[in-house]
Amino acid sequence: MSFAQPSLMPSFTRPASRVAIVRCGSYDLDLSTLLFEALREFDLPVGGKKVLLKPNFVEPDPEGIVNTHPAVVGAVREAFLRLGAGSVRVAEGPGHERDSEAIVETIRLSDFLGPLHDLFVDLNLDEVHAVKLRTHASRLRELYLPGAVLEADYIVSLPKLKTHHWVGVTLSLKNMFGIVPGCCYGWPKNVLHWAGITPSILDINSTVRPDFAIVDGIIGMEGNGPIQGSPKASGVLILGDDPVAVDATGARVMGLDPTRIDHLAKAAILLGHMQAEKIRQLGESVASVKIPFTVLPAFQKLVASNGQ
Amino acid sequence: MSRIPCPESRVRMTLGQIRDLRCLEFLLTNQNSDGGWGYHPALPSAVEATASVLLALNATHQAPAEACARARTWLVQAQRTDGSWPAFPGQPQGCWVTSIASHALHLQGGARNAVERGHRWLLNEWPAESALWWRVRQTLFSSRATRQNSSLCGWNWTPGTASWVEPTAHALLFLRSLPANMHTSQGVKRRQSAERMLYDRMCPGGGWNSGNPLVYGVAGVPRVGPTAWALLALREDEERAEIQMSLNWLQGAYGTIHGAASLALAYRCLTAYGRRVSPLAPALGKLYPQNRFFENVLTNAWIILALNEVGNMAVPTAGKAAIR
Repeated sequence: MSFAQPSLMPSFTRPASRVAIVRCGSYDLDLSTLLFEALREFDLPVGGKKVLLKPNFVEPDPEGIVNTHPAVVGAVREAFLRLGAGSVRVAEGPGHERDSEAIVETIRLSDFLGPLHDLFVDLNLDEVHAVKLRTHASRLRELYLPGAVLEADYIVSLPKLKTHHWVGVTLSLKNMFGIVPGCCYGWPKNVLHWAGITPSILDINSTVRPDFAIVDGIIGMEGNGPIQGSPKASGVLILGDDPVAVDATGARVMGLDPTRIDHLAKAAILLGHMQAEKIRQLGESVASVKIPFTVLPAFQKLVASNGQ
Repeated sequence: MSRIPCPESRVRMTLGQIRDLRCLEFLLTNQNSDGGWGYHPALPSAVEATASVLLALNATHQAPAEACARARTWLVQAQRTDGSWPAFPGQPQGCWVTSIASHALHLQGGARNAVERGHRWLLNEWPAESALWWRVRQTLFSSRATRQNSSLCGWNWTPGTASWVEPTAHALLFLRSLPANMHTSQGVKRRQSAERMLYDRMCPGGGWNSGNPLVYGVAGVPRVGPTAWALLALREDEERAEIQMSLNWLQGAYGTIHGAASLALAYRCLTAYGRRVSPLAPALGKLYPQNRFFENVLTNAWIILALNEVGNMAVPTAGKAAIR
């Protein structure tokens, strides 16, 4: 693994992060060109690199509401190839559904990527290696992680813009739960829940911090996410070189205060920037695309006060 | 495509017919030199993959004895000193694959000691919700997010975590396969609690997901895999309304399945209960060219198990009535 930015760096010493918000109202648009143009602004060090895309594939959902939309996955892959990546594979280890084939066939991923057998890696069933975690926020000290993740030069987290009924939002940091292999930990990966969801998010991302994050917010999910919520047409793609900054921006677009989202607030200590003044905003402003998401009553406290 | 036996025909699939789907050939070709199987060709041998292939080879009754013997030896060597099996050899902790490994070795025969040790470990492995502190916490701070009876204990995926549907189903399938003289009173109690736990975790309209039937008052959506495993584990309760309701759900979902593993599991389950479903092979034949089932060893093993379901899930050695 090699990272564009160090995983762990106190926020006050970390250079400003860059996040771009791109308006995009439909999956039928030329997403590849849109993303290529946006990604070019970042001058990413991906030439000849093995890039791994980590979408959020949860369950077979033909409606395109639950999972990262395959059109976005396909467009991101194409954009990274145009940027000179040596290879771009798609990898996911769904947390509840063992049959990854059922998910990718239901969402018709191959329509956007072509034949999948050499492109898609089921992280639940890959070979595994013991990895010492770089922080000890949870009581986990090491995790078995898939070879495909450890061998990648550049990891891109590709979540969906969704609420989450346990941690408020599921964006690029929470999405990394999917790299933990079900063959070792089960479906769901209950060991992460017992170790604490927020501490586990921190430990996983401190050890395998995504180099880049792109949030599919063209249609998000509000209410009882991440599976049973309602679709929310949000019309944005949010991308950046700091997963914490991307998630904080995503939360602001959803009308939520990132400082009140436990795992984001804690991630901002060592993993990236949450404060708006530390995020160099490209493309659209948050205010111009903000579209408040409804949340479960238990998460009403996350809703940003007026003007934030 | 070969003719696939319908439940009524009670005809066992021949080796030639299975070979038409190339599943058996795929498995035999991709056995690792150490005797085990990885989840995919050329990956390190894994306990679940090896045990599942062994179950499949056992179901065909026509697999090469040498391949089975090597797999059996690998599994026995992978067992930990405490009787459990880890997901991969050398890992410091046993887990749910102990049920599958024990089951496979029991059906194969010839590894009685390993099976008995696996059996003992399973009976002594309690989920986290059985702990006193957890029960006190549940009593004092009962969660409004989920609805479940935490006094009912099944089996967990990994030690120190909670009961879930699929590992509980695997444990029940193994326990059910044991002869009457291995049914201890502790085992009977665990089995009864686990069966009740499965019913408690059933989704309101029938079927199962991983184990959350209700979250924030919203009914959980059943999934094919957990539903099929739970139904296979509860097969002796065929007359219960919950079982029939869940079978109806699975039968309705059958035509919408896009994954070979789910399709094979659903077919295996529905035919075990004598439900009429469209033949498996043509549906698999449509899926295969798209991605070759991702060359997934488990999927191929489950297909063989599904095609051999009739007769393979016969009345257990010791009927339920005999052990209660």
